[in-house]
Amino acid sequence: MIEGVGTPSEQFIASVREALGRKAGPPERPYARMVEERASVEERAEATMERLSANRRANVDELARVASLRGWVVHRAEGVEDAVGYVYQLAQKLETRRVVRSVEDVFGDVPLDDALTSLGATVHVMARGDESAGSFDPADADLGVTGVDYAIAETGTAVILPRRGVSRVTSLLPPVHVALVKPSQTLEGLDDLYLLRRLAYLRDGVDAGSYMNFITGPSRTADIEQTLVIGAHGPRETHMVILDWGL
Amino acid sequence: MSEVKTQEFRRASAKVLANAKLQSYLGRSMGTFDGARAEAIEEISPERWEELRQQGREIKRHTLDNLDYYLEMLQERVTANGGHVHFAKDAAEARAIVGQIAQTRGLKLAIKSKSMVSEEMGLNPFLESIGTEPVETDLGEYIIQLAEETPFHIIAPAMHKSKEEVSELFGEKIGRPNLQDIEAMAGAAREVLREKLVSADMGITGANFLVAETGTVTLITNEGNGRFCTSVPRVLVSITGMEKVVPSMEDLATFIRLLPRAATGQRISSYVTHVYGPKRPEDEDGPEEYHLIIVDNGRSKLLADPDLREALYCIRCGACLNTCPVYRKVGGHSYGWVYPGPIGAVVSPVLVGLERSKDLPNASSLCGACKDVCPIKINIPHMLLKLRSQISEGSPTSSTKASFVDRITSKGYRRLMSSPRLLGMARTLGLLAQWPFSRGSFIRRMPIPPFSRWTRTRDMPALAPKSFRQVWKERLEEEGR
Ligand code: SF4
Repeated sequence: MIEGVGTPSEQFIASVREALGRKAGPPERPYARMVEERASVEERAEATMERLSANRRANVDELARVASLRGWVVHRAEGVEDAVGYVYQLAQKLETRRVVRSVEDVFGDVPLDDALTSLGATVHVMARGDESAGSFDPADADLGVTGVDYAIAETGTAVILPRRGVSRVTSLLPPVHVALVKPSQTLEGLDDLYLLRRLAYLRDGVDAGSYMNFITGPSRTADIEQTLVIGAHGPRETHMVILDWGL
Repeated sequence: MSEVKTQEFRRASAKVLANAKLQSYLGRSMGTFDGARAEAIEEISPERWEELRQQGREIKRHTLDNLDYYLEMLQERVTANGGHVHFAKDAAEARAIVGQIAQTRGLKLAIKSKSMVSEEMGLNPFLESIGTEPVETDLGEYIIQLAEETPFHIIAPAMHKSKEEVSELFGEKIGRPNLQDIEAMAGAAREVLREKLVSADMGITGANFLVAETGTVTLITNEGNGRFCTSVPRVLVSITGMEKVVPSMEDLATFIRLLPRAATGQRISSYVTHVYGPKRPEDEDGPEEYHLIIVDNGRSKLLADPDLREALYCIRCGACLNTCPVYRKVGGHSYGWVYPGPIGAVVSPVLVGLERSKDLPNASSLCGACKDVCPIKINIPHMLLKLRSQISEGSPTSSTKASFVDRITSKGYRRLMSSPRLLGMARTLGLLAQWPFSRGSFIRRMPIPPFSRWTRTRDMPALAPKSFRQVWKERLEEEGR
């Protein structure tokens, strides 16, 4: 801890209170969202899940539409072969030597490793204790493949919750990122996502996770003469493969 | 604190006004921003936009009105997530906290993702002085760090630099000469910075929003440098003004819809990053240590004044700069401190002291465009007027008063405007008095002070031969009413 520098929290907060001319305690006029019972948040989340599964088709269509507007290359795969084939062809086109991927269930549905290895690429699993990692530096990879935790139709966004098996940088270091999306992960809007993540925190607190990333298309900058350059510090190319069969 | 030059507004702005190249460039690029914003609003529909603005404003109002409560909650949750929360009443305290963290942990290389508060604190020179190398990693910030300048614009810090200037700078400072096109320049910066991004031991970020209920710091970025800063270094420090709190995660949906649209016309930025303290033991990567530094540095003065409190609702989108006829002419550096443009003209005087920023609240025609474009509907013109009257009448936050002439004129103006008879008499006198000086509808030079001072930098509209009241009366008569 840092000792003896800064203002003690009680003192700092008391001075804010004084500036406001307020007494200690919760807001006099409560904010509905903040006094909502947990049970009611849970009910809303359940209703959301029902709505999402009823509207899945429409949400996936919208996701595909918006994501491509936001700079993703979107591919709707009709089956396992189609999905694997897409990534295979991409790797071939890019002359990929090194692939990094995370450890997630989705790679059970879409087994990519053999196909990529047959191209002569090495596939590294970015997880602790993985033997294949060895002296490998993920910064040298030319393709990163991940699953997602949610995909938001409203904004064309892939949401990733890094954790065991899911590194923060698999989707950041390589110049090309492929995200595999299951239709069941599709949300309609930002409100759905934040409601579900809020509930996760209310339930699990610190165990709800340390990080959440929204990725919407490639990295970009317009800091010189407002001229758009695609590909800044993150990937310059992002592919969203929607696993468009009963997942 | 970073160097304050707010008292030099007149001199600095005169220089920009005389720079014809910058003038034409400024007008064009501000128009681009403004147009992109308008288009994004059209797309989401103006009605929906209004609804979102109202929501955003209400959330901010509620949070700021109860800021002590939400700060307490935030502190508790960040701590529960395994982070450390520090409070700094001013820039010196904030620097001391960062210094202590860097020194006790022996941190040598700090990668920074955009933080306005770190500009307020003059953090970079301080880090250098203690042997920690600060590297700005946002391309715009990196350019101005190399040029040893301050940000020109809230969201486009290096927008005043032409590609020729950037090319020269890269040749001189990072050994990458003769780059011709912008893509190559961005590429060179990417390469040079990549090495720093993957090897830094300290990450420093600002915050767009702090969620009290979940102890979450939210960063909205396009380049990906913010993701590096929050993923690679073993110690992560977020430094932020205390006004950035929102109550719940669900509030973020509103602000993420508002901010990118107002700022760049984007529907969403490439990345929205949410940090909940340090990495958990089972995580693959992430910082081992997390610190959040919450800074006052004069903000409680805004908080305490009911007329000025809403300046703290600002989400730093830059829309009011892009639309402001004054900013579009004088540019960002003229304002002399971290925050330029209409919102800067409110915030800077209060944060650095009214007595040395008397020109800022006057650097506005009160046209109201800033308020119209603000995604939080902040009433900037109203606050500028308040500050003007605090300057002219002296106030608790200011120890000085306006000059005798200013006070007399402002009193006289009030009398005049409240009496039609006095106003009529003054007009007749004015018409006689201006006759020798006016050319067409403008007076270019007036010989007597205080008017001579006014016409030194501006043309004064001459009194029209007929007053508006006369014309109006005649019109009504013509139309037979
Ligand atoms: S005052 Fe409003 S328009 Fe100006 S930067 Fe802040 S939020 Fe944007």
